[in-house]
Amino acid sequence: METEELLINMGPVHPSTHGVLRFKLRMDGEIIKECTIVLGYLHRGTEKLAEMKTYLQFIPYTDRLDYVSAMPSNYAYVKAVEELADIEVPLRAEYIRVLVMELNRIVNHLVAIGSLLMDLGASTMMMWGFREREKALQLFEMLCGARMTFSYMRIGGVREDLPDGFIPKLKEFIEDMEKRIADYEQLINNNEIFLMRMKGIATISAEEAINYGMTGPTLRGSGVNYDIRRLEPYSIYPDLDFKVCVRSEGDSYARYIVRIDEMRESLHILRQLIDNMPESSIIATQKYGIIPMTGAPYTAQTYFPRIFTPPAGEVYSRIEAPKGELGFYIVSDGTTKPYRIKIRSPSFCNLAAIPQLVRGLKIPDLIAAFGSIDVVLGDVDR
Amino acid sequence: MNPAEELKQALPGSVMSTGMQVDKPLAVIKKEELLAAAAKVKEMGFDHLSVITGIDYTDRFEVIYNLFSYKKKENLVLKVILDHNNPEVDSLTSLWKGANWLERETYDLVGIKFAGHPNLVRILLPEGWNGHPLRKDYDMDTEQFVTIGEDGEDIVSTDGSNLLRRK
Amino acid sequence: MWTGDTMTNAYELIVNILTAIGVYDQIYNLFEIFGMAYVLKILIVSVLIAVLFAFVLVTVMFLTWMERKVVALVQVRYGPMVTGPRGLLQPVMDGIKLIGKEDIIPAKADRWIFTLAPFIVFVPALLIFIPIPFGNSLIISDLRVGLLYIIAISAVSPIAVLLAGWASNNKYSLLGAMRAVAQDISYTIPLALAAIAVVIFTGSLSTVDIVNAQGDYWFGIIPKWFIFLQPIGFVLFLIASIAELGRIPFDFQESESELVAGFFTEYSGMKFAMFFLAEYAHLFAVSGIVVTLFLGGWNGPVIPFIPVQITSLVYFLIKTYAVIFFTMWLRDTVPRMRIDQLLNIGWKIMVPLALLNLLVAGFLVTAGVI
Repeated sequence: METEELLINMGPVHPSTHGVLRFKLRMDGEIIKECTIVLGYLHRGTEKLAEMKTYLQFIPYTDRLDYVSAMPSNYAYVKAVEELADIEVPLRAEYIRVLVMELNRIVNHLVAIGSLLMDLGASTMMMWGFREREKALQLFEMLCGARMTFSYMRIGGVREDLPDGFIPKLKEFIEDMEKRIADYEQLINNNEIFLMRMKGIATISAEEAINYGMTGPTLRGSGVNYDIRRLEPYSIYPDLDFKVCVRSEGDSYARYIVRIDEMRESLHILRQLIDNMPESSIIATQKYGIIPMTGAPYTAQTYFPRIFTPPAGEVYSRIEAPKGELGFYIVSDGTTKPYRIKIRSPSFCNLAAIPQLVRGLKIPDLIAAFGSIDVVLGDVDR
Repeated sequence: MNPAEELKQALPGSVMSTGMQVDKPLAVIKKEELLAAAAKVKEMGFDHLSVITGIDYTDRFEVIYNLFSYKKKENLVLKVILDHNNPEVDSLTSLWKGANWLERETYDLVGIKFAGHPNLVRILLPEGWNGHPLRKDYDMDTEQFVTIGEDGEDIVSTDGSNLLRRK
Repeated sequence: MWTGDTMTNAYELIVNILTAIGVYDQIYNLFEIFGMAYVLKILIVSVLIAVLFAFVLVTVMFLTWMERKVVALVQVRYGPMVTGPRGLLQPVMDGIKLIGKEDIIPAKADRWIFTLAPFIVFVPALLIFIPIPFGNSLIISDLRVGLLYIIAISAVSPIAVLLAGWASNNKYSLLGAMRAVAQDISYTIPLALAAIAVVIFTGSLSTVDIVNAQGDYWFGIIPKWFIFLQPIGFVLFLIASIAELGRIPFDFQESESELVAGFFTEYSGMKFAMFFLAEYAHLFAVSGIVVTLFLGGWNGPVIPFIPVQITSLVYFLIKTYAVIFFTMWLRDTVPRMRIDQLLNIGWKIMVPLALLNLLVAGFLVTAGVI
């Protein structure tokens, strides 16, 4: 019998492309022969915009990269600038930064798992995940007034100190979350249909994953015991006790399990942070020893200059964002604006492996594989 | 001995200079020798290609490769310097599959050509876009409009008069 | 004369009620004068069918509301709350909205088939209710081949789905339609086989006979429902029914995260609403059939002083809604399967199991258990 290949354009507007992404699929019936990814529908030219902004002005743009987890994006940028200018950050500021980043990691994984299950057709997990996410977002709102685009980090510290009542609410959240994660596992982990859909699907070996530059839960799901928080410890991570969650299977299921485990580890980190939160200033003052106006509120702006000139130089600084390795390559020419900023986004590099992952699989597997990689298009297209 | 020095010892002919980029060892490679040097570096255990950055310095282009070794837990930065008129360097896709998209992006936004790349087309911007935005001489005053053609392909034009929202 | 037990369908029930209140003879004579007594029968049956369809449509609207509320219950939220008490009028508002929507026919669609398909889906979804016994004597027509009729009628919908998918001239629609047909064909077989096992016990395809056969009790307490004689058959029938309905975990024909909306991707407005209504009407019908075949139909404890017609209707509805609730609950808890996995299970597990079940049923009957 003669058959014809079917060309399907999945996206840019499609329920499960998590934004505006386009798959060009060459299909044999339901089997994917070739998958081409078309990007750029959300390209905003962030890297070009950076060349026209001062160092401080660029912080809000980092929020818009990975809008599901903006805190790590903020942090990756300010960390790069701090490395460039060699700024010592006060301990309390570092504690607060790690606290909000780990909280954001939980939020990110909730969205990732929720949308993965939504793509598989189980809408309940999405709703449950968003219920807990809402509580975390309320915490963020309390902290900085924003729920998704925080702009909370400042070069040399954070914008504001923890408000009154934040720690008790956070403790409540941690207690609640512990139980909820157990709920999620009960709902999903042993569901036969879920296992059928996830196990052995879109498997990638450790060598292949490294070769593709995959990072984050995706790489850890393939059995690489890697975590930048451990390999190149930054901030206060060397003082914290947490384990790197690794699974060896390399399939969609492993990636999902890694995320669930990481949420637990993040809760563990949050507890340690609450217990050891030191008292100190929240913004670097030693280098730009500016005396605040008397009576002025204790905020970052009163301490830190709006126009800031790091020395000329180049730096590549990377952190372990929830989705993987998030790096900023900053070139400074000694003026008030960066000469060039290159963003190494985890989603972009992880997504590059999708065409190979799904070759020979079916459309539903493409959806499952794509969901398990966890991609945010703001991060891919920049 | 840091990996940059090691590389210089192994391939003295292709490493122009070594140094440090903040805390990471840096080796400046002759552009003709990049592929050989990269292969050597990969052999040395640098299995993770973090990022490829192309920079326009108005008189020259630089392409910077940030590498990391999961085994040795070491960083290495490779840099090649290209002339401004015809920036072209060998593609590393044969060594790292991840280089594919990173090089496409560098080509798209900075306009550096990668010889031997299997599919060197634009990735973030539509095909037919004028100029490479991250070059310093990019014309930012000319607006470019993208519409969708009959067969679903992007059409770039500088004339926005036929777009609905512009009347 | 009030003869509750001998009536076999709703027409006779109406005649009996009219006779009991003493107006039937006058009406009958009125028609007799013109020599058109048969018109009266047609009239009564037409009214009954209208009542049935109205009932089904109201139920369908209620089911859309119930679906949302059950989802909300599982997901720990409220669901619709604004229109009407606890959002009860939400389906009405949805209907008004859908009527107000533009009816788009894609430029390259096959206009005739595109327009025809929703009707081909919708009409069988209503016709399927004709031989379903809602209660003692509450049945439009007790067909002697009732079960065959039901299976045959419900097998029409894949044709319409295929037509809709093909006529839309959309690749997602086409894929959805192909999936729907593959799925329907492979699940009608275990569905029919599981039903035939019941027929072996009753020796009749009539739904009323099937219900009556389940009216007794073992040891005076355990009802003689076929679910106890046919547990495997029940599970097979339920799974196959959900697959036929195309609900999660088997909703491949419209799996929104893969195929946008499957075969009705291109439909809008009232045409979309017809697919939607047909889906819920089908859900109601299939749940009713499950109840009829396996859960004792309208049988239940007799309550004195209340006409058996009313109690039996209540029993039937309670059981049906229990089955509907189960399918909705299932929908909210499990993810979607993959089409090839579904077909594998259908052909490699369900069909052999159904055949085995048939064999067991045969042995049971030969051994004289029932």
